[in-house]
Amino acid sequence: MASYNHDTIRDLIDGRLPWQSTRSIMSQYKDDDRFFKYIDILQERVTFNDPILLPIGEHLYIVAKQGEPQGERVVKCGCSYEFGHYTRNWKLKAMINVRDDEEEIAEIYPGRHSYDPDWMEIREFICPGCATLLEVEAAAPGYPIVFDFLPDLETFYRDWLGRELPKESK
Amino acid sequence: MTDASENETMTIKEQLLEYDRRFRETGCYAGITELKYREDDPLRYESLHTKLRSMTISAREMARSISASPGVREVGEMVVALYTPEGDAISLSTGIMVHVHTMSRFIKWMIQNGYEESPGICPGDIFANNDAFIGTVQVPDVMVVVPIFHDDELVGWAGTVAHELEVGGITPGGDVYLAQERFTEGLFVTAEKVGFNDELRRDYLIRLERNLRMPIYWMFDDKAKVAANLELRDQVKELIDDVGLDYYKRATREFIEEGRRAQLSRVKQLMVPGRYRGHTFYGHLTEGKPGILPLSDGNLLYSIPLELEVRGDGQMHLDFDGTGSWGYHSMNCTPAGMDGGLFVTLTQSMNYEGKVNDGAWLATDMNLPSGTWTNPDRHTVATATSWALLLPAFGIFQRLLSRGFVSRGFKEEAFVGQVNSPMVEMGGQSQYGDQFGMALFECSAAGSGALGIKDGIDTGYVGWNPESDMGNMEVWEQGIPMLYLGRSITADSGGPGRHRGGTSFTSTWLVHNTDELTIATSEHSSRVFDNAGMCGGYPAPTAHRHFTVRDSNIQQMVEERKPLPHELGSDPHMSDMERLVEGDKNVIEGPHIDKPLQSGDLFAHSYNGGGGYGDPIERDPLDIARDVENGYVTAEIAERTHAVVLDHDEERDTWRVDEEATVARRKEIRGSRLSKAVPVEDWIESERDRVLERDFVDEVRKMYQDTMGISSRFAEEFREFWRLPEDFAM
Repeated sequence: MASYNHDTIRDLIDGRLPWQSTRSIMSQYKDDDRFFKYIDILQERVTFNDPILLPIGEHLYIVAKQGEPQGERVVKCGCSYEFGHYTRNWKLKAMINVRDDEEEIAEIYPGRHSYDPDWMEIREFICPGCATLLEVEAAAPGYPIVFDFLPDLETFYRDWLGRELPKESK
Repeated sequence: MTDASENETMTIKEQLLEYDRRFRETGCYAGITELKYREDDPLRYESLHTKLRSMTISAREMARSISASPGVREVGEMVVALYTPEGDAISLSTGIMVHVHTMSRFIKWMIQNGYEESPGICPGDIFANNDAFIGTVQVPDVMVVVPIFHDDELVGWAGTVAHELEVGGITPGGDVYLAQERFTEGLFVTAEKVGFNDELRRDYLIRLERNLRMPIYWMFDDKAKVAANLELRDQVKELIDDVGLDYYKRATREFIEEGRRAQLSRVKQLMVPGRYRGHTFYGHLTEGKPGILPLSDGNLLYSIPLELEVRGDGQMHLDFDGTGSWGYHSMNCTPAGMDGGLFVTLTQSMNYEGKVNDGAWLATDMNLPSGTWTNPDRHTVATATSWALLLPAFGIFQRLLSRGFVSRGFKEEAFVGQVNSPMVEMGGQSQYGDQFGMALFECSAAGSGALGIKDGIDTGYVGWNPESDMGNMEVWEQGIPMLYLGRSITADSGGPGRHRGGTSFTSTWLVHNTDELTIATSEHSSRVFDNAGMCGGYPAPTAHRHFTVRDSNIQQMVEERKPLPHELGSDPHMSDMERLVEGDKNVIEGPHIDKPLQSGDLFAHSYNGGGGYGDPIERDPLDIARDVENGYVTAEIAERTHAVVLDHDEERDTWRVDEEATVARRKEIRGSRLSKAVPVEDWIESERDRVLERDFVDEVRKMYQDTMGISSRFAEEFREFWRLPEDFAM
């Protein structure tokens, strides 16, 4: 089975690996040991020490908190900003900018590229800590904010990875 | 081990029911609990599969050269497949792999409806179907199958599908956008025996000849399909003689069971179990347009939410609960069509190894709520342009899978998703003076969504046929009374992001040598974008307008050697057609359904780009300089959206990144983001008042009335999210 070293995976996920090598990796059977190597690379990049349990997007991680309450599984941005427990939608603790007027729309979609704000709005979910744009929704006005991903961490660690999930104090 | 060989005294229908029973009892396809042949002699087993797959591929390539249609020849809108006697897909060629299970439904439908007794299934018979309620995606996807007999025993089916360019509907072309009920969709062939003794019936061909605007495409394509099927059939029969019938029957079923197991294990390898959610929207704008019937005369907004549950055993469950009702338009879909969408996605994201077959279908299930556009409860609804809603719907699926890939570390597989690509359908008087009809399939080269590690594909991708091509302009010009003034990259058509979505292209034409050219475009969202970005990337702008100039002064411009409009141009507020040409100029919102054009008129049509991935201000500034130099992104969007400051060397027409200014600009953008934004909880509080007052335009309000009426779950979640009274209704 395929297996790649730390630097290769780092360059691959950053899009910096030469295309020939990337393509070759994409065409191979997948490397079953990817997950924890990936986590190690991400852990080196974040500004906190809480162990990452699962990335759920660019800059967004479910971590096991080292501080109190210890082991609590919370969503954090890479800058350390904390969005609350992973079973609640992190977006509800973010900042939002809604593009629903002509001027705001034209910044991204000018003229004939625009949409009708009566029918649709662009919602930008921004990290209050570092101002990174974490997610964009295009939705009809009034449509509830989407909870993108609620992982089944227990099944993932226990049954799929064969590892014990760090305990979470109740 | 359960014996998978058939009982020779059974009818095919009994056999089908027996295999279904064994699947229910054992959870394994046809009751195959052990992959015995694979384990005993893997080389022999794999060799058989490779041979079958190569036979389907070579049959497709042969058929492409027989076909008269540029859709098949140039663009490759065809697939050849091999099925078990009960209609389960064993192996497919490349091409429109949508049809793994759609053709399967067609074969099973014939078996379940007693075709063994009448009209009979005999050696040399040819059956055809384009009824989506039986098993296809839409009317132009005409499928032809032939039974494969070994001695007197039915041992399988060879099938071929091609997308026909003209189907004789209320508007010309293949995707009949103006169809509002089944009765206006064009020529139906409903699971019909259309030939015997290996030849198409003469009366069937006469029917095609007399009911289509451009019969040559369908007729020659059907001959190509028959040729592909006969080639595949004869090769399979020879192969059976080599390997033995018992081995063939058992091994081909093991392929399917292996496909099922492989799908489950790939999910466990690439994904993370849990609940994934996403949505998209689609605007349908036809109010007051010519040819709209009273029941259809209203604009519509569709919401398409999708929930994906990835279970601990690797099974995936897709749930479209919360989407809207079917309507009097051509965009409805059938469960067969939804199967098509499922396979469009799976074959590109998970089912990428050789064994694409019905095993993956068995490892995945869908909730398609009855009465919605995904599963109409009336078989007379139109499905002629079902891709309109189907493709955005499965674009969500692609993004949900990609969320799992990103979580799992396989970012190279994350793909923001397939996009729709609006097609130009046309007909009227050809440049040769006779009647014609055509689906201009250059739409098959749109921009793809971005990947997790790189930009999307520019002008070279479409969801339904990842092997597709736009075809040569000169070839299309042979079939349509229009001359290309240009095909050009549409700047800013890809969604911004750290990795931007693939850009698309715009074509501009001069109508030539005709008194009557009717154009009816299809699969095109209006007022809203029918795709999305991911992880901070933006959607691509897909609410296109059409540009026409009637009674233009183009002839005079040519004579005076003035600059002609070869594209819409990079000014988003004023197109080159508006800027350069004199005449009756129109910018048309929504699909182009209008009175015919004629020689000297101009027409422009834009295809779709894909969504972006990641925060656009994290994009490498050098990539943006390259984008601007090559016309993919305008300097304005580079500065505003990607926060890159560029210096333009006008003499050499090159762009250089001002690194210091870019760093400052990006810092400034971060600051302004936070000063403009509000906490989500505050925003919810203020928006709640708007919801309580139902302060929405009619189309949005009707969308909520419809979806809250059809889905109690959505209604409950809507009320809960906005903390509305229990009796709140829109």
